[in-house]
This record gives sequence, structure tokens and C-alpha cells, in this order.
Amino acid sequence: MSKLQVQPVARKVTAISWLPPRAGTAYTDTELYFVTGSGAKHKELVLWTTPNPDFAQSEPDSTNDLAAVVSKVPHNGDVQGIIALSPSLLATASSTGIISVYNMDTESGSMELGESVTAHKFSNGEVAGATSLAVQPTGALDVEVASCGEDGRIAFTALSRLKEPQGYEVDSTVITDLCWTTPTQLAITTRGGQIKIFDRRMPSEILAAFANSQSSQALESIAVHPSQPFRLATGTAGGSVLVWDIRDMRQPVIEELAVHEANVWQVRFDPADSTRVISCSEDASIAVTQWATEGRGAVALGVAPPERGVRRLSSMFNALSINCFDICPSTRTHLLVAGSDSGNLLMEKTVNPDFKLF
Amino acid sequence: MQNRHTGTDRFVVSRDKEAVTHLSPGLFPAGRQSEWSAQNRTLIFSIHPLNNKTALAVGGKKTRESLGNDTLTFDQDQRVHICGISTESDSRLAFINDTHAVFVALQQLMEEADVDDSTASAVGIKGLVKMSVLYREAMQRQSRVLADIGDPNEFIKEEAETFQAMHAVWHLLEIIYLTTNTPGLSTSIVPHFMEWLNANFPAPLAEDAHRIAGGSPTADDLARNELLWPYLKKLALRGHVSVLGNMLERLAPSQLLSASAARWARSLSQLCRKMPLSSSEETAGSFNSRWRQWNEELRGHATAIGSLLGGAGEKDESAGGDKDKALETLFAISEVMRGDLDAIAAEGEIWQDIMGATLLYSEPTAQADRLPALVGAIIEQFEESAFTELDRALVALLNHDLAEFLVHCDHIDHWLSAHISDLMDHISVLDICRRVFVVDPREHYLMALGESYLGHEDLWRVGLDYLGLCRTVAGALVMEEYVTRIPLDSDRKAEQVLRVCEVYKLDCARDRIHRQLGRQKWQRGRLGAAIAHFAQVCDHDSIGLICDQIWNAYISSGELTYGPTIDGVMASSSLSEGSGSLLHHERLQFLSKYRDFHELYAAGDFVEAGKVLLSILLCEIAPAYALGDLLVDSIPLLEGDTLVFSSEDTFELMRVAESLAQAHMKQSQQDGAIDRSEMNIFNVACTRNLARSFVMF
Repeated sequence: MSKLQVQPVARKVTAISWLPPRAGTAYTDTELYFVTGSGAKHKELVLWTTPNPDFAQSEPDSTNDLAAVVSKVPHNGDVQGIIALSPSLLATASSTGIISVYNMDTESGSMELGESVTAHKFSNGEVAGATSLAVQPTGALDVEVASCGEDGRIAFTALSRLKEPQGYEVDSTVITDLCWTTPTQLAITTRGGQIKIFDRRMPSEILAAFANSQSSQALESIAVHPSQPFRLATGTAGGSVLVWDIRDMRQPVIEELAVHEANVWQVRFDPADSTRVISCSEDASIAVTQWATEGRGAVALGVAPPERGVRRLSSMFNALSINCFDICPSTRTHLLVAGSDSGNLLMEKTVNPDFKLF
Repeated sequence: MQNRHTGTDRFVVSRDKEAVTHLSPGLFPAGRQSEWSAQNRTLIFSIHPLNNKTALAVGGKKTRESLGNDTLTFDQDQRVHICGISTESDSRLAFINDTHAVFVALQQLMEEADVDDSTASAVGIKGLVKMSVLYREAMQRQSRVLADIGDPNEFIKEEAETFQAMHAVWHLLEIIYLTTNTPGLSTSIVPHFMEWLNANFPAPLAEDAHRIAGGSPTADDLARNELLWPYLKKLALRGHVSVLGNMLERLAPSQLLSASAARWARSLSQLCRKMPLSSSEETAGSFNSRWRQWNEELRGHATAIGSLLGGAGEKDESAGGDKDKALETLFAISEVMRGDLDAIAAEGEIWQDIMGATLLYSEPTAQADRLPALVGAIIEQFEESAFTELDRALVALLNHDLAEFLVHCDHIDHWLSAHISDLMDHISVLDICRRVFVVDPREHYLMALGESYLGHEDLWRVGLDYLGLCRTVAGALVMEEYVTRIPLDSDRKAEQVLRVCEVYKLDCARDRIHRQLGRQKWQRGRLGAAIAHFAQVCDHDSIGLICDQIWNAYISSGELTYGPTIDGVMASSSLSEGSGSLLHHERLQFLSKYRDFHELYAAGDFVEAGKVLLSILLCEIAPAYALGDLLVDSIPLLEGDTLVFSSEDTFELMRVAESLAQAHMKQSQQDGAIDRSEMNIFNVACTRNLARSFVMF
């Protein structure tokens, strides 16, 4: 089990997101920025900076902080999701059902609320927590943000018309997470244990719904493969990560990887190597799972070739749930930052991670 | 329980200056209690079930004359105030989380040891020492954080003192029970004690050394420095003999010293360097003989300097105070170092100093069991009423009076008493004092700590862990009570609370939380989610009621829109064999089948639709109030062009209709029965269908 570096921040970190590099896709920023959202007593967004490990002059001193606060701003409700749309624009989802847009400037360190809208509400008028949000993967300037909530609705909010969200009730339980598989298609996971696929153009109709026939556990999180829109990864309430191949909509191929002991709060294909799935969990660990070996593709259900492995990351100083993580997209060093209920920021910088076989 | 609360509150209120408790009554002006009661006013309050917040309102009692026939006696104020005392300061959050992680790791370590059927000694004192050091590092980190705060207020200063005290207590316990308690190895406690003394009660300070040595480049300057002499004595008292040796050597060439003082300074400096140090390779006997030799030499020095001092005092009154001071200091140093108890007592400012010097110079091979006798003799010289809680705790610990020690620890901080009693339990020394307490001390202090965290929004999970890891019946009971009171703000938090129930096997609490969630979702109109929660605890009654609500909504609106609701909850369970309990709820099955019937009917598959309808009636899964509607639904199928129902099917339909009519006759006043005219149409349709079935089959 590898160790994560820990920095106590005295607030529950519930969402985290790296900011894209300032100069387009250039990998030359010496300072990297990320934003954390926290919940419970300290409901706020915090902008952090950390030196780019690609340009590290010397070995980092263990007494130094991993990241330094640039600025912080209060947030209405617990921050349930953050998406960095650009280095100066941020969208957040809140436990009070509000979708907010924040403007920021990393140079001056300013961060302020632009606009916000209540996108999720129960039928009796109570606010319903938004559980996640995802931005439409188009190159257009006016992108659309889709959010899901405990009210079983997905809401679409165009950034230019933030005040007019369109909501559709698509599930009777809680929608736990969502992702865009293509610019016109999105997938949600539900507490009822289903994946549902929608077309943005007909958002009230369910294109397809899948469930894991092996077990009926609730699904907590979902992610799509960076280059194969038919391949999805989901995290379950029981601690396993499922990799789905939904090319055959009637009978999806599911691969179950038992990597955690409790709810998998977030799952993501490693942007550097999509044969790996990274997940974080209530059991206070992060797992990097080699789900497929290069060139082999998916294999039949339940058959795990011996080449696969899992690498677990945790810290002795972090006993509670790791709620969120993000991988820096613009560094050569694999830079992963995560946040936990123990009020810690956790970080891992690796070049060649070592894998332990299953 | 009540006593503990009172004690905790008093403690917290007096320590935590962040608490702001104020009340500004809305309609009624503020006043004294006597004025209030004269005007028939009172305070109405309700205590929060989980944290120490109270909702307060002013209530006015109306006079008898002004009361009408109504029974209202209290005129409520329109404003409710929420008053709270914050038990945990946010400045401690990082420390609490850090030490919680160590605490959990320590419990796991000991649990693994138990599984291997071995005791703490098998896990190795090493493991425990490692954990103990982690705790201390967390305390030191927190001390540093507090020290770094510029312009500290009263609260921060008190916190800093508390953390220093906690560290001192913890460090001493670690030395006595872990470091020097390694099985099979009899280690002297003295070097560890000196290390503890110098780490926790720093004197002489490093700054003093800088000030004295830096500001005095030559031996003469050094001799002129007023601060030098007390500093040298302090060095001797704290056992910094090599520093003392160096200082004396630097001082010796000074012209300001008398020839004899310079000679003795040199000689003493050499003796300092020769001080025997025990090592594990040397036998006790060999060390003792070396020590005796060194001590004899020192004694000789002390006597010689003493006689010189006596002689010099008589001979030359005006020889200059400095020379005398030098000789006096050298005499005091040699007296302290030869282990003269009176000299040590005269030089020591605090009892810890005296204890350290006595151990170092008079009993260099003492072990932990020698401490009670020593400390008893030393603290007699001090006024005990001037002792702080820290002093009392340390003395109790040195006396091995663990019960009293724990009580004083609790007065210092309840974090300390909880964690130290846990550690003492793991090293099996808590058993010695268990019988002194009415309740188990470890459980008591851990529970008190856990409860104090529960009210904090960030720390509820930490608090539950402390309750759960008590591993006692009382802990589990209290936890079961508390866990159901944690506000379920979000879906994720609800999942986390349920997970806690799973980990600590709190089945009752789990059921209650599912019911609570079910009701919450029901209120919010999330019927599918509500059914899912009720299904988890097999609450068939509630599921039945929700199904009735769904059915009624359908009847009143005429639109069948509940499909997605039941699909969401049935999708997973219909595939899984394990969670059959949900599927077997007949009302839910009825709704599902009825929806299938409608879909088939809309698709024009009348035969299949008829089969589904008939199966609903045959399986008797439909509630009685829905039977009439089902029969009405069958009329179009009976009257349709295709023959849907065979004669047997028709007989079944007629049987259902007849039993319904019978029931209706019995309870003639009951509402919801089918329309008589519709029943007549049904009867006619059945008759015709029967006739058709005879013709066609």
C-alpha cells in the first residue's frame, strides 16, 4: 500500500478540480492551481496553488505544505461538485440544489460568485441536493452544464442563460452521478442500481437502462472512457468498480473489480493511461486498478487475466472517507490530489507507479 | 451520565471563550428573574437532541383574571433564540482528525494482536511506542501551530499551555510504561527522565547560552557576566555536564578569578568530562564502581572548595564579591553533582528540577519503581496548594496512583484522559485502577470525548468512532441512540450514517434510519425512494400505504404515470434473487402488473392483456378497493371483437364480481364500491362473453 502525502486543512473537502493551464494546452506553468469545495461547518470554495512537479528544483521538503491557499469564498450549501470550465470560470453544484458559476483570476487571486440558479427541488417545495454536475464536451463557447440531484431530476443549464434551467424527472430514487458519453448523450447512475442513458435532444425519454445482474447494489459514481464512449466505469455502494461495455444495449458486458470495502464516491479513467481506473472510497483509500492490459480490450465477464493489478493509496493520518480526487491533466508527472472527511488534502506524485498483482 | 454532562460543561465554559450565549427577548424586555416572575413571565426551552444547543423562547403567563374560558395560559413570544456552547474550537480540528486516525490505527493494531491470540507484549511495545510517539507528534504540531499565531488572545494562550501540559504528561507516561518497560531489559529511567525534563520544562534555555556566550567573547567578559553563575548552576542541575565542562574551561583563564577558583574551575571541568555514563554493554556492578569513584572525587572537590570558601570568607572580607561568587558557585555545583540532597533542594526552583537532579546524581541507576519514594520526599518541600493540575497529574503518575492520575488528566483536557486511558488499557495497566471507578474509566472517558464531538458538524463521524471503539455494551447503546439523531442532510450523509451502522453492527439503528429516510422521501414526494427504504426494513405496511397513494392518484387523475416510480425500485431487485423481499410485496406487484396490462392493452395485444388482468385477480394480489375498477377494465375485453376470456376465465371474473357484491352487501355503508350501473354492464358483458365462448370453443 502506497502512502499519500497529507496536508490538514481543517475542513471537510467534498469536491476538487484542477484548473486547466492558463496558456491553452501548454505544459509550462510553474504554478498549478486547483479548487476545493468543502461542506459541513465550512461551506466554501478555496483556490490553492502548488508548484509544478515537472519543474521541481530539488526533492520536496516533507515539512513544506503541499499547497498554499490563494483565496477563498463562501458557498451556498455543501459543495457537491466542481467543474473548471476554463482557468477563469468555475461551475459548482450545491447540497441546496443550486448551480453556481464563479469567476476567478489566478493572477490576482480573486474568486467571486457570478450567477446562480436553483435547479433541484422536491415536489413539496423543499430544496433537493444536487449530487453532481458535468459539462457538455463540445468545443462551443456556450456550453451546457448538466446536473443531477436527489429529486431524481437532471437539469440542463446553458451558461449564457443560467436563469432558465430545464429539468426532467428521470428516476424515482436518487441520481448519484452523471457524465456525458458524447456531446449529445449522457449517462446517469441511480441509487436503485441502474445506469440510464439519455439523448440530450429527447431528455425526458430513457434510451436504455442497465443494471448489474450479479448484484443489486446502488451505483455511486460514473465515468466514461476518454476515447470509447461505449465503455463506462461505475462505483458501487458495496465497494466494487464495474467496467461496462454497452455496445450491445440489450446485454451489456460487465466486469466487476472488487477494489474497495465501502462506497466508491468517485471513479475515473486515468487520463494518462485509460487501461487504468482510479477510484476513491468511504474506506479512506484510493485505488488505481489496471482493468485491462494494453491491446486486449474487454474480456468475458468474471475472467480476470493475471496481469491485472491494483495499487492502493492511503495515509495513516487519514482515517475517514476520501470524497473526491482529480488528476492534473497538464503535467508529465502523474499528479493526483484528493480531499477527505478527515479534513485533509491528499496528494500523490508518481512517475512509475508500482503495481501489485491481484 | 448527568454528572458527566455537568462536569464537561463547566469545564468547557470556563475554558472556551468562543461561546457567546446571549438572549434578547423580542416582545418582552429583558429583566431579572424576580421581575420576570412578578410579571408572570418565564423561559421556555428545548434542548437539542444531539449537540449542546438550546432553543429558548420567552413565555408569558397570563393572569387568572385576563383568562377567558379558553385554556391558553401561555402567551408565546414570537422569537425563538438558539443558544449554543461550542465544545470544540475549530483551531483543534486538524489535531482531532490526526489523533483520531492514530486512535483508529491503534485499535486495529491491538485487534490484530487479539486475533493472533497474543497480548500487547506480542504486538510489541515497539508498536505501541510508535503510536504513542505519533500522538505526541500531533500534540507538538498543534503546539507549533498555536505558537505561530501572532497576537494570541487569552484562549490561544490557554490552549498552548494545555497542549504543553498534555505533552508533558503523555511523554512521562510513555517513559515509565513503554520506553523503560521493555520486557527482559532492565533499563534505568534516569536518562529518559532527564530527556523528558529538558524537553518539557526547558531550562536552561538555549537563548540564555547564546546571550551569555555570544555577548562575552573573552574569559574576563564571561566572568563579569551576572547571568553566568545562575546559568552554570542550572546546567549542573539539569545534567548538561558537557556544556558545563566547556563553560568552566572557558572561564578558567579569566584574570578576574582568584587562583584557587581558577584551579578548581579547571579541575571541575575535567571531572565533568569524566562523568560515567551507563551503557547497555556495561554491567551494573562495573558502572557502580566507576560511579563511586567519580563521586568520591567530587566529594573531595566539594570538601576542598568548601573549606577554601570558609577560610576565604574569614580572611579577606574585601577581596571582592566576584571571586567569592565564583567559588560559591563552584561549591554549589560540586555539591549538586555529588548528589547532596540539601544542595539540590536549595538550587531547584521547581520540584521537577529537584527530582531530575536527585535521580541523576544520587540514584543514577534508579528504575521506575523507585519513583514513588523519591517524589514523596521531594514534594513535601513544596506547598501543594500552589500545584497546577499538571503538577498533580505528574505527581500521581510518578506515585503510580493511576486513578488519581486519570482524574487530573481529565481536568487538564478530556482529550488527554480519553486517549491516555485507552493507551493504559492496551498496556494492561488500567486494570490496576479499574476497581476504584464505578464505571470503566476507558469507556467513560472515551464516551465523554465522543459525545463532545457529536455536536460538531465536521466531527460527528469521529465522535461515533470513539463511541463505537469503546467496545463495551454501554458504548454500543449510547451509539445506537446517537446515531439515529444525526441529521440526514444529504443522500451521501445518509449513506455514511448507514455505513457506520453496518460497521458497528447497529441493526436496530439501521432499521430506524431507513424508516426515517423512507418517511422523509415520502414527504418529499419521492415515492420510489421511499419504497426502497421501507423495503430494506420489510415495512410492508408503509409500502402498502404508498402503493395505495399511487393507486388513488391514478384513480383521481385517470393517468397512469407511476411506471417510472416502481421501475426504479424494482429494476435491480427483479434481477437479483437476493433481495426478493421487495418483489414479494403484493401491492407493488399488483401495480406493476396493472401497468403491464395497460401497456399491452394500449399496444392492442388484448389476449395478453386479458391474461395479465386475470392473473391479477387469480393471485389475489389486488387490494379489495381496486377490484371494482379491475372488473370495469375487463368490460372492453369482454365486449371486444376477439374472444379474450374462455368460459373458465369468465367464470372466474363472475366469481370475483359475486364475492365483491357479497362483501358490498355486508358492508353496505362502505364507500368506494363500484357503480351499480357499471356492474350491470359487466354482468351483461360476462353473459355475452360466456355465450360466445361456448360457441367459439
